[in-house]
Amino acid sequence: MSKLSPTLEALIEKGLFDRLPVTFSTFFFDQIQDWQLLFPAEQTYYERLFTLLDRSDPLQVEALFAPVRAAEVKMGVTEAVWPKRKFTLDQVDFLNRSPHYADWRRAIADVFAHIDPILDAETARHGRARLVIVITPAELPAGPDRLWKRIEQHGKRIALDPPDDASDYLPLFLTGKPASAKAPAITDLFVSTKGQPAYGAWMVESGDQIAALSNHESVVRLSYSRLADYRARLMTDVQKLVDAEQIRGPRQLSARLKQLQIRANESELGRDPVLGEFARAVLLSGNGTLLINNTFVEWATVQGVRRARPVVSVIGYGIRNKIKPFSSVLIYTDQDAANPIPTQADMLGSYVDLEIFHQYIWQEFAKYAEYRGNTAFLFVADGTDGMLAIAPPDFPLLSATRPVKLEEVFGSMKDWLAL
Amino acid sequence: MLPGITKRAFLRLAGLSIAPRILPSWLRGESLDTNQRRVIIVTFGGGVRYSETFASEGLHNIPRLAGLRPDGFFFRNCVNAGVLSHFNSTASILTGNWQRVDDFGFQPPSGPTLFEYYRKGAKAGPMDAWIVATNKSFATMGASGDKLWGAPYGANVVLPKQLLIDAVKDVVRKSPSGGVADRENVHRQLETILAEGYEGVGWTIFKAGRQLDQHVRETLTRSLADYINGPEAPTSGDELTFFITREVMREFAPRLILVNFWDMDVAHWGSYSLYLQAVTRTDRLTGMLWDEIEQNPHYKDKTAVLILPELGRDGDINAANGFLNHRSGDPSCRNMWMLALGAGIKRGETDRSVHHVDVAATAASLLGVNTGEMSGTPASEIL
Repeated sequence: MSKLSPTLEALIEKGLFDRLPVTFSTFFFDQIQDWQLLFPAEQTYYERLFTLLDRSDPLQVEALFAPVRAAEVKMGVTEAVWPKRKFTLDQVDFLNRSPHYADWRRAIADVFAHIDPILDAETARHGRARLVIVITPAELPAGPDRLWKRIEQHGKRIALDPPDDASDYLPLFLTGKPASAKAPAITDLFVSTKGQPAYGAWMVESGDQIAALSNHESVVRLSYSRLADYRARLMTDVQKLVDAEQIRGPRQLSARLKQLQIRANESELGRDPVLGEFARAVLLSGNGTLLINNTFVEWATVQGVRRARPVVSVIGYGIRNKIKPFSSVLIYTDQDAANPIPTQADMLGSYVDLEIFHQYIWQEFAKYAEYRGNTAFLFVADGTDGMLAIAPPDFPLLSATRPVKLEEVFGSMKDWLAL
Repeated sequence: MLPGITKRAFLRLAGLSIAPRILPSWLRGESLDTNQRRVIIVTFGGGVRYSETFASEGLHNIPRLAGLRPDGFFFRNCVNAGVLSHFNSTASILTGNWQRVDDFGFQPPSGPTLFEYYRKGAKAGPMDAWIVATNKSFATMGASGDKLWGAPYGANVVLPKQLLIDAVKDVVRKSPSGGVADRENVHRQLETILAEGYEGVGWTIFKAGRQLDQHVRETLTRSLADYINGPEAPTSGDELTFFITREVMREFAPRLILVNFWDMDVAHWGSYSLYLQAVTRTDRLTGMLWDEIEQNPHYKDKTAVLILPELGRDGDINAANGFLNHRSGDPSCRNMWMLALGAGIKRGETDRSVHHVDVAATAASLLGVNTGEMSGTPASEIL
């Protein structure tokens, strides 16, 4: 165990984890093992959760977890199938295959239905303005009127007055100045302001246009293209593992994948153990993040929001490539090296993908108390004259009556964050 | 007009003589001899949601199935109440009991499969039951580990995509600078792997002498040529699954087949557009399979087809990550549909819930074979 928080260590010593149902306590015990690789938001959450359970009336806690215990009995949870301090894919598999899995899941959901409102109320008391910017790439041949259709009913479309020089579009939007001014991005301004939380500003993108506008060391910059070397090594290593070591299935593979850490020379993320582990987990947790740029952007954002709860998020999508004949069946193979057929952009496919990702990203933020009622979401398409804003009524741009210049948008974002 | 016959009588006689040639058996009210009947189960493997198929907003993704629906019996509520994973879902369909075995094919289905009941009960030969599956973990799907049943009564299992992967891998390794762009090159490699034996690619094919083995190999090789030289760029494992199924039907005319399409599992890659393309491709290939049934004298007017998704996928609202996964257990994961088509199947629709475990019992009834204990029951609407 890596230097667990004194608060949790004391609670474990007191026997709190032993008093809770084993399917619940071992999951969380496993989650806190690599304490120093957790984001501060995660550490705080675990401390608050278990402190709440510890200070609550034991009889009430027992009653709260009674349905979970009942489900465990029905499922046949014993020390043999569920060791007290162990949570692996075997335990996940045990749950999934149990005929009583639905009962257990419902019981767990009921527990959190009681706990979450208490924790959320605490969070809301410390609420602050937050900002999420989602950028559609300039190459996508669709105007703003064709974009964000799944979520447009939740916000307001705002007319923009774009600059004559298209290359200044993103710099003006994110720094308030043309590219030549090399002004700090909104993320960099945020982290430069005193008292901001660690890992509070994130850039997640397919290319590196957005990251190029930021250089403050405290901004998290996750770029699919900047991770190309690490991705290439992961693909080669995973293929070798599967071929040479005859790994039988996901359970065995998962253990080996944990060892494929990012190196410092592969990305700036490698210099921060928390971010290095985050990048590894995002790229190796399945769901196509190694293979498809926009999947990486979506999944990294979802995981970043879930785990780190950034205050400022800038998310930039790209254009996905078309799938190549034959070689595409080899998942862990560099398509450019293996197949001489030229790589082609899939514009229509990218459009379809982004439309649903816009909805998923927006929904993901809304799941957490930190973002409810105080977050301005700006969906913007690079180079175009319109954006969609989903924001609280007091967000200044919602009252705009004429096309807004990008530097004004920047000014509004800055004011919103009180920078 | 023949002397002594009225116009009304003539039309009635003419109609009667033409009817057997132009009317399907269900309209003529004939009952089909179960000894002649064939059953093909088609699964939309990998999982597909109602919203991308038979929901009103999804119909444009499945033009063939939407067109066939009025000709068959449509179960609007077909529920997967079991483990929401691939092997267990399909094994539940084939055994009539909810399966909870290892999901990566390291265990066979628990309890006899439909194939075992059929082959033992009907004394059917080894070439009479086949699984053609794109999912490579289905290698053990053909038979249970039950000592009284098991492999001697199981199905042949062919995994076309595994063959394709192995062939492409070899081509890329031998000619990294471009061999894979040459269809003939890939074709040669596919044939080479087949010539080396089926077991290497996880297949099970019951051999009954050298002559039959050669026959099987020639049959499969022909389907490779159709696939490689087809009109579309061959990117899909499901296309190969279709061509192999069609060739098996033409050469061996098995009475019981499971066709497991799988391309739509690309949803795990996180591309909604690739997922939708796969749904439409599966619809097209299922339609082509139906066309083959209609044109193949071994199958025409003798075959019942049961088409259903193996499982759904998570819903867009409040789920882990929507279409990418199938683990939430929400209605979008569990509630699907089933379309029954073909010989002896009435037209109609019902809201009555059926379950995946009802498929084996229904298919067994259609084939006229008895089964052991099943938690599923036959769907009386189509019997």
